[in-house]
Amino acid sequence: MSRSITLGHYLPGNSVIHQMNPRIKVPVLIIILAMLFAFKSIPGLLAMLIAVLLLFLVARVPFLYLLKGLRPILYIALFALIIFLFFTKGGVVLLRLGPLTVESDGLEEGLFVIIRLVTLVLFSLLLTLTTTPLSLTHGLGYYLKPLSRIGLPAEEVVMIMAIALRFIPTLIEESQRLMRAQVSRGADFESGSIFSKAKNLTPLIVPLFVSAFRRADELALAMEARGYRLGAKRTRLHEDLIKLQDWLVLLIALLLLAAVIYINI
Amino acid sequence: MFIGTDKLTHTYMPGTPFASDALKSITFSLEQGSFTLLIGSSGSGKTTLIQHLNGLLKPTSGKVYFDGKSIGPDKSALLSVRRRIGLVFQMPEDQFFSETVFDEIAYAPRNLGLTENKVEENVIKAVERVGLGHKDLLDRHPFQLSAGQKRLVAFAAVLSIEPEVLILDEPAASLDPAGKRMLFDLLSRLNRTEKITVLVSTHHLDEIAALADNLVVLNEGRLKMAGEAKEILARRTELQDLGLALPQVTEIIDELAVRGLPVSTDIYSLSAACKEIIRLKRADQE
Repeated sequence: MSRSITLGHYLPGNSVIHQMNPRIKVPVLIIILAMLFAFKSIPGLLAMLIAVLLLFLVARVPFLYLLKGLRPILYIALFALIIFLFFTKGGVVLLRLGPLTVESDGLEEGLFVIIRLVTLVLFSLLLTLTTTPLSLTHGLGYYLKPLSRIGLPAEEVVMIMAIALRFIPTLIEESQRLMRAQVSRGADFESGSIFSKAKNLTPLIVPLFVSAFRRADELALAMEARGYRLGAKRTRLHEDLIKLQDWLVLLIALLLLAAVIYINI
Repeated sequence: MFIGTDKLTHTYMPGTPFASDALKSITFSLEQGSFTLLIGSSGSGKTTLIQHLNGLLKPTSGKVYFDGKSIGPDKSALLSVRRRIGLVFQMPEDQFFSETVFDEIAYAPRNLGLTENKVEENVIKAVERVGLGHKDLLDRHPFQLSAGQKRLVAFAAVLSIEPEVLILDEPAASLDPAGKRMLFDLLSRLNRTEKITVLVSTHHLDEIAALADNLVVLNEGRLKMAGEAKEILARRTELQDLGLALPQVTEIIDELAVRGLPVSTDIYSLSAACKEIIRLKRADQE
């Protein structure tokens, strides 16, 4: 269980990428994703792939994390490749398997889609690996703010998201502790049919719910005790100033996107 | 060696930037029938060590022994270990999930596959052992009980498998003084009259120090001291350097000794302190 949370989980660090303002990081990511879809040929995408790998080096993320992050899309990528290989026709025939043929256009398109997918996932992973969930939420929440004019409680939504993210590790830890506690009382969560497995989870789920509700209660009281009120204007302890270099990164990303669209490669 | 570890090391989240060594090459052992305290400040690795003794965590390196055999990955062997070693977690009442106290206490024996008659017998015996012998209590919802009662029910839920060894992680945490007294009396009774081997982890020596035969001291994942309780409690400055407070009565008696009164210095419980002061008073009058 603890392994699955490492996927896209924040890795503490001190690199330039870690220090970038999340309010800039989010739109920059969107621009980069747009760029990925603007490229029309493999060389451009390869350049993007190399760029993201270099950025991972700059952020000092261990290579292992890239592989782990890519694992979930492995099957999608393989599936896409197979579809393109066999069903896109045109160009030179590369391989003949009875009635099926693999033609060069299919190979090209398959590779194109896979490189795009991998690069896309890697860029997104770079964001979540180098940004704490909390600052990511604030970065996203900043863009929700204008929506409060049309009645969406943006501040509250951000608070809910931040709390939810904050308590994911806590709940995972709690469930592991409970699992061990019940295992020491002879519980077996691994064997048996699906039905009995589900039934066996009661000793895990009930206490987890009880503690989640108690935590929620305590948190609500603690927040009120510290003056949290709905609709009140809040200021932040750490002001997230957007620095010159952040603006530069945004500008460069925009220029690159414009260039890619203009050159049309 | 009845229970013990050999060069036990445990690393949490190995191979990530979050990796941390919770235990570093711990070698210690417990005798059958002994009462041992595992002491150390928070984060010293007590809970991690305890969970290895029940096979809940696997050593990163090193071995864990129980009754002459190494606790390995073999599932049926693990089950028999868990049947003989009862482990009470920190805040054990957080594990409650049943609708009645009876079902809660019956959970472990039922998991072991005992017949329903035997389960009922064990439950009633366990409730009596912890001193909660009211029949109507068994039908109540566990969440309706008081904090002290909940803790006792949680103990009964482990005692119901009739373990030979009882391991408790901070059993007195967040109990009031009366609850603590009741708990320590229970532990002492289980150990002295029922010959159950007891291992208690705590960072608080008040009241319980006098019950222990042996002491094991952990600090930042390393074994610092292990041996007879009296011997280790006498090493006051070393204990204090590790951030461990002596029992309050001991500090008072020590202070009396510093002021020049002829008191004995190995006093670790309130009753022993009372006796010593009365003895002094009498000696004074004669």
